[in-house]
Amino acid sequence: MDPKEILDELKAILVARLKFDPCRAGDMALETPLPKGIEGSIGLDSLDFIELSIAIEERFGIVMDESQDLTAHFRSFETLCRFIARKAEAA
Amino acid sequence: MARVVVTGVGVVTGAVTGGRERVRAFLLSGGGPALSVPGSALQGLVDETETRRLSRVCQLSVAAARIALADAGLGPGAGLGLVLGAEFGDVRSTREFVDGYLGRGPAGLSPLLFPNTVMNTMAAATAIAVTARELSLTLNAPTVAGELAIARAAAAVRSGRVAAVLAGGVDEIDPFLAELLAEAGAVRETRGEGAGFVVLESRDGAEARGARVFGEITGAAWRALRARPYGVGHDSGSRALAAALHEAGVAPNDLGRVWISASGDGPRDRWEQAILEKALQPARPPQTALVPRVGRHSGLGALAVAAAALDDAARPALVHAIARGGTHVALVVRGQGEPGSQRVSGHPQ
Amino acid sequence: MRPVAVTGLGVVSPFGTGVKAYWNGLSAGVCAIRPATLVDTEGFRCRIAAEVPDGIGGSPRRSRADRLALAAAREALEDAGLSRDERVEAALVVGAVGGGMLEAEAWYWERFRGRRPASRLAPGATLPFAHVEALGNALGLEGPRETLVTACSSGAASLALAADLIADGVVSAALAGGVDALTRVCFMGFNALKLLSAEPCRPFDRDRRGMSIGEGAAFVVLEDLERARARDVRIYAALAGHGMTTDAYHVTSPHPEGEGMVRAMKAALARGRIAPAAVGYANAHGTATPQNDRIEARAIREVFGAERLLISSTKSMIGHTMAAAGALEAVATVLTLVHEVVPPTAGLDTPDPDVAFDCVPRVAREAAVEYAISNSFGFGGQNVTLLFGRA
Repeated sequence: MDPKEILDELKAILVARLKFDPCRAGDMALETPLPKGIEGSIGLDSLDFIELSIAIEERFGIVMDESQDLTAHFRSFETLCRFIARKAEAA
Repeated sequence: MARVVVTGVGVVTGAVTGGRERVRAFLLSGGGPALSVPGSALQGLVDETETRRLSRVCQLSVAAARIALADAGLGPGAGLGLVLGAEFGDVRSTREFVDGYLGRGPAGLSPLLFPNTVMNTMAAATAIAVTARELSLTLNAPTVAGELAIARAAAAVRSGRVAAVLAGGVDEIDPFLAELLAEAGAVRETRGEGAGFVVLESRDGAEARGARVFGEITGAAWRALRARPYGVGHDSGSRALAAALHEAGVAPNDLGRVWISASGDGPRDRWEQAILEKALQPARPPQTALVPRVGRHSGLGALAVAAAALDDAARPALVHAIARGGTHVALVVRGQGEPGSQRVSGHPQ
Repeated sequence: MRPVAVTGLGVVSPFGTGVKAYWNGLSAGVCAIRPATLVDTEGFRCRIAAEVPDGIGGSPRRSRADRLALAAAREALEDAGLSRDERVEAALVVGAVGGGMLEAEAWYWERFRGRRPASRLAPGATLPFAHVEALGNALGLEGPRETLVTACSSGAASLALAADLIADGVVSAALAGGVDALTRVCFMGFNALKLLSAEPCRPFDRDRRGMSIGEGAAFVVLEDLERARARDVRIYAALAGHGMTTDAYHVTSPHPEGEGMVRAMKAALARGRIAPAAVGYANAHGTATPQNDRIEARAIREVFGAERLLISSTKSMIGHTMAAAGALEAVATVLTLVHEVVPPTAGLDTPDPDVAFDCVPRVAREAAVEYAISNSFGFGGQNVTLLFGRA
């Protein structure tokens, strides 16, 4: 899958599972940071990330290893898309 | 023992949303019933992330708490406690959560929804939103949870355990819940939805910071009257009323008004009348019921206490609530009239 | 403020019915966490729980949680020997979360599948307040009555609030405790949050992987100390102080520095006018999540200093019993003072090097402790610390 396709799927998850406004999701770009506390981010906290992980696992058919520190992958849409693409390919 | 004063009120209900001025206007206006909170009521009171992350019943609570603190002129870092009463909690989220599993198995479960399945979710969200870091409690009771929360909060302030407390409650109308209750043969009464909090402080603390005090809780007590679970009792002797009046140093014929919890549940309403008659006779102070205007919900206790305080500075009032099963609350409230205040409860109910 | 004594104990735990079975299990360091049978665990990573064995008693028409509560409450009241008149005036404070949810779920599951449920749903028996109604009615309690829902600290908060009523002179006796029966919502929810370990939980172990869930009920009778002495009843311990604080930080995660935990422990000590050095044992919240144990140990260290007291986690044996936890663990703490034996932390093979305390691994320790605390730090940052003193 290419990053743009993955981004669209992630936006759909953000609307359906994390209750984001569709208009707000439309404005999100690859560079947009995810975690709260970073300027310009969409403000996700730890609970959002758990919900997001589960939805990603389900939608993309991958498994995330909880024992690893995945913080770096969740920094922005770009890092997350790359992570998902890599995992999906390996799966 | 500290004296317990009322320095703020915030309500979000079908018929009135706002602080003391709006409550005063509502009491003068008459009319109703308005049982559901309109969508527009929350505008400007919850931010974008809260709108996304908080369930509706949590948003109602946060909104009312913010209004109450603004009315009290209290900012964050105030050494603030929270006592929240609720009858039903977040039924909507609980149902959505289990439906996710029933529809799609374990993968259908939403971690975001899970915390809402525990009834303290409204208090947790509110404590975070307004930074309340002293004791934070959720009390669950049928009918009287809001009044009970205020009584418990008043006791905490009186004994010096906390300097300032948001006290009140919240309930939401959920169509599925209403259907369940009807099916289960629950009593027919006027149910509404909404959130309401009063801000209670020690009088010394309130005066020291120049707060606009508009009332005082001079007596607060809660007990149980003998009754089958969810039943109406025959016993009308009341320890709660006696204890509250005693603490306030008030005799029945000193009371200017009784704010009753009558809700259209015939047997329970009659039980309330029997209790009041036995405890107050031969005095028969006039009564006012708020349920016909906003419906029964756990935000009503704060509205009743504020109404009692705003009503008449000359004579103390009794805020009274009795639940099926017997949980019984009595609060004696004095107004501390601000310049230009007038009686607000002139019309009969 | 009037001092408060503990004069009655009642327990239904994963070890069985009664205080005796409970203490026997705790002091032997037995783990009661096994494959769950009350709920369907198909498809979940964690499939174990600490369930109360058969033989709870009570009418089958009552919810499981009501039956657990009634059995424990009866034992406590009989233990304290309160007369009928004393019961009428006594306060009743119950910590609850699930209420009769287990039965309501069964009803809803049937309905969702388009089947006609076998039993009718009674909303009054489903909500957390059902227990005070059932107990008050069955046991003749007509004093102040409250149901507290403060997530995992409910059972402890109920003791604290009951103690306040006595300290303020509102009542001279109170029945306080907590109860929770296993529910699908709880089991599924903690699974979904990935907070549960697939193996029995191992608090304070370096390799711990999360919580285990349990169920049960515990009640204590609290009395005005002078009144208890006057009527010559056995006094188990003094409830010398308590602290209740809120993190106001996040709905599920604790404050990373345990700031609210520290305040709760300090408040309990201040209220009891006890110096940290006088405390010999802390019954930890100890859920075995990587986060809680690390943050809690750090908070305890901040209040008491490193290595100053023994710590153990009852959850290592009976799991996290939700609203019952604070009450069950309060009873464990009282019994520690009475028997002069500190129950161990079961399953502790490799102590976490970040935890600067002796967590009493696997085997109980004889120790004459003067004061002990019990911590309950609930979801959403609702922190309660109870301080008990030897009688």
